[in-house]
Amino acid sequence: MLFTLMAIMVVLLLLNFPMMIPLIAAPVIILLIFFPSLGPDILMDQLLTGIESPVLLCVPMFIFAADIMTSGRTSNRLLDFIGAFVGHIRGGYAVTTAAACTLFGAISGSTQATVVAIGRPMRERLLKVGYKDSSAIALIINSSDVALLVPPSIGMIIYALAAGSGVSVGDLFIAGIIPGLIVFLSFAIYSYIYARVKNIPLADRVNWGDRVRFLGKAILPLGFPVLIIGGIYTGAFTPVEAAGISVLYAFILEFVIYRSIHIKQLPKIALSTGLVTSAVFVLVAGGQAFTWVLGYARIPQQITEAVLGNDPSATYVLIMVSIFFFVGCMFVDPIVVILILTPIFAPAAANAGVDLIHLGIIVTFQAALGSATPPFGVDIFTASAVFNKSYLDVIRGTPPFIIMLLIIGALLIAFPSLSLMLL
Amino acid sequence: GEEEGTTWKFITEEVDGQVQYEYAEEFANRISDKTDGEVTVEPYEYGGLGSEVDQVQSLQDGAVELAVMSPGFTGNMVKEGQIFALHFLFPDSVETTQEILNTSEALNTDLRERYEEHDITPLSFWTEGAMQWTSNAGIQEPADFEGLKMRVQESPLMMASYEAYGAAPQALSWSELYTGLDRGTVEGQENPIFFIYDAAFHEVQDTMTISNHNNYVAMTTVNTEWYNDLSDEYKEIVDETVAEMQDWVFEEQNTQNEDFLTQMQEDTEHPTEIIELTEEQRAAFREAALPVRDFYVNEVSEVDGAIYNKLLEEIQAATE
Amino acid sequence: MKIFSIIDKVIMKLEEFILSFAVIVISVMTVSNVIAREVFNSSFFSFNLEVSKFAIVIATFMGIGYAARKGRHISMSAFYDFASFKVRKIMMICINLITAIILLVLAYFSLDYVISEYQTGAVTPSLQIPQYLMVIFIPIGFLMGGIQFLRNMWINIRDKDNVYIGIDAVDYNDKKNEEIAQQDLNNV
Ligand code: NA
Ligand code: NA
Repeated sequence: MLFTLMAIMVVLLLLNFPMMIPLIAAPVIILLIFFPSLGPDILMDQLLTGIESPVLLCVPMFIFAADIMTSGRTSNRLLDFIGAFVGHIRGGYAVTTAAACTLFGAISGSTQATVVAIGRPMRERLLKVGYKDSSAIALIINSSDVALLVPPSIGMIIYALAAGSGVSVGDLFIAGIIPGLIVFLSFAIYSYIYARVKNIPLADRVNWGDRVRFLGKAILPLGFPVLIIGGIYTGAFTPVEAAGISVLYAFILEFVIYRSIHIKQLPKIALSTGLVTSAVFVLVAGGQAFTWVLGYARIPQQITEAVLGNDPSATYVLIMVSIFFFVGCMFVDPIVVILILTPIFAPAAANAGVDLIHLGIIVTFQAALGSATPPFGVDIFTASAVFNKSYLDVIRGTPPFIIMLLIIGALLIAFPSLSLMLL
Repeated sequence: GEEEGTTWKFITEEVDGQVQYEYAEEFANRISDKTDGEVTVEPYEYGGLGSEVDQVQSLQDGAVELAVMSPGFTGNMVKEGQIFALHFLFPDSVETTQEILNTSEALNTDLRERYEEHDITPLSFWTEGAMQWTSNAGIQEPADFEGLKMRVQESPLMMASYEAYGAAPQALSWSELYTGLDRGTVEGQENPIFFIYDAAFHEVQDTMTISNHNNYVAMTTVNTEWYNDLSDEYKEIVDETVAEMQDWVFEEQNTQNEDFLTQMQEDTEHPTEIIELTEEQRAAFREAALPVRDFYVNEVSEVDGAIYNKLLEEIQAATE
Repeated sequence: MKIFSIIDKVIMKLEEFILSFAVIVISVMTVSNVIAREVFNSSFFSFNLEVSKFAIVIATFMGIGYAARKGRHISMSAFYDFASFKVRKIMMICINLITAIILLVLAYFSLDYVISEYQTGAVTPSLQIPQYLMVIFIPIGFLMGGIQFLRNMWINIRDKDNVYIGIDAVDYNDKKNEEIAQQDLNNV
């Protein structure tokens, strides 16, 4: 059955069908063939479930805010300000992009929102200063996804619940710091080398007088990150609400203060947001139907239980965990994968002497890696929709990042202290 | 699983180790024993089949045969089921509460009929433990709730329950709850102890009030059509096992809640002050909560509170 | 034919209105909830989540047709990009047709779902609106999507010189579009 499912999906996918077709049609076909007593109603229901998650609501709003800001002045003023400080440094823009994506991803809790809110303006700037599009997009997607390692990580919160009592969310947050830094450092080093090898031209160093001038122009736009990060950290609002506030802030800046956009243009901007939202969310909906069929047939459980066997060693368990979470998240939403696979692996890992916090870091890390990896990754879809680039263009630049992350993944298994030493 | 005898799918709202899933596993073992392995019950943990509301749909559609279900997630369909959200309706003693759940005609006959209209047959009602309040404020009297951003599920009755204490209830999904409590977006929440500990909410809350303001009630449910079509032999085995499980699950939740309470008390890294309420303090909450019952009868109930009235009599009889 | 073109225009305007309105509604709802809580310490907008859900469902499914019109559905064009014009033309016609058929079947299945939601009489928690009013947008969305893909197929059959993906999407593989493609890249 798994074979049939995969066959339908891969064939439709490779033939250039709109991706919603394999995602929605394959589970329906499986249901009709293998579970004929069930009506397709149950899958239609799942289409709704997929997009009803309250956390997802921040996606259209961050797109909307970013759309308003890029149509007006906010975005450019912010980028000029950043450029005044990093433009003359080799790889400066790329490192800034990685840092901004990781931080924003961690704070907003939504990797898709990050691809949009940070990725969109940063990509334009990266292209302008000479980066290749595929590299820029790959950098954005991967830095957004590793945000799953940075507190407050929703992945870790879910893991703690699924792993059972005694796993502390706070400890997981702390344990994620060093792996997160390692990832960020390797992205930074890569960006530096990339900029060197590709000979990305450097801007002239900006003197402090001009920097202050850029700061002056960016002072109101800088309220945007301050408001969002400050608002979330002080608990004034949830990440979803922060997305709403950012729309409000962008609106006030562009329509009221700068008057750079006329109110009549608002519906048009909202329309472009709606279009991107729909193109991505229909895939999220389909992904949920697909997940339901896998879950109903208990495919993850069957495979994992067969693989684990009796008394596996610690390293073996961790390698299996890595493979399963990596592959699982290539196809299914990371939250669902964590919920389903964690209870299967956690007892085996505990028996083999693996620290459950260490396991949590491996799980979160692989989930982040898998969701940035083709064929199915919601951030790949988001990037494709937002940047209006073909799927292939979006994934073309990812291999170096995947290789780096796989190496880091191996290091995390080999040296538990990387995760545990701060505890 | 292809044709090797009969397989019944049993879905729960919790993951391995938690009360509902443990229930399903124990149930599966007993059914297997009683049918000499003829029937395999396959427990499903939360996550794979969508949200709790989707799980209800799965049972109604017959995609799964059995389900542990909280009435809270069916509250829009079977409004009477929201009765368990009322505060201080059941006695303070969890044990007495369980006895009432076991024997109540209002629940096991009248409420069951309401569910059967929607292809859901609740075979038993049981508690997963009393609900407690956590906060940084240290809730001891209704005044402590004044303006407190209390997290509730999206339900008008739950909103009304906390508004009655003067709180500002906020609907938030549980996946956002840990961070929300940490940051102060919401300032309090209610759950049974085992869930508080499993989700590590105590790490971001200074106090837990042993309020026992109500119970987290779960139902063992079956698809009505499937159940009615069962052979007499199987039906008897199911009924018998469900009945036996009542004592088992009471012990299970009791052990879990007590163990986790101890662990929470001994957790020096994330200390949590445990607040016990005096009789007077409890009475103050009870009094403040009473008007919400009118809200239930007038705004929620579709039978003008008939089931509520009957249950109230049964509770009074049990506590006299 | 004129009548078809008018209907087509009206549908497009309607789709555009729904998509942009949904986005604005979600933003307004969310912002008002924050203000209600943080400024007035009230939970007055407890229904905001529900209205937003409604909007997101409507936008998602009503957007299927519009994204098809604009050629903005995400697909994996790896092999397609290497094919000759003739093969691409045939592929695109087949993809349009099969996609349309699948969407129409899905419309039929989901209509069934709407009917069963209607029969259960389920209502939403906060606003107590019948659930079927939300799910009805699933079959409508699939139906509009199916029709749109049929329209795309028709254009592909009529226009012999280009492969038509959608209004916004030029097939960069077409010879004479290569220049445009280069310009587009330079403009970003
Ligand atoms: Na835990
Ligand atoms: Na605590």
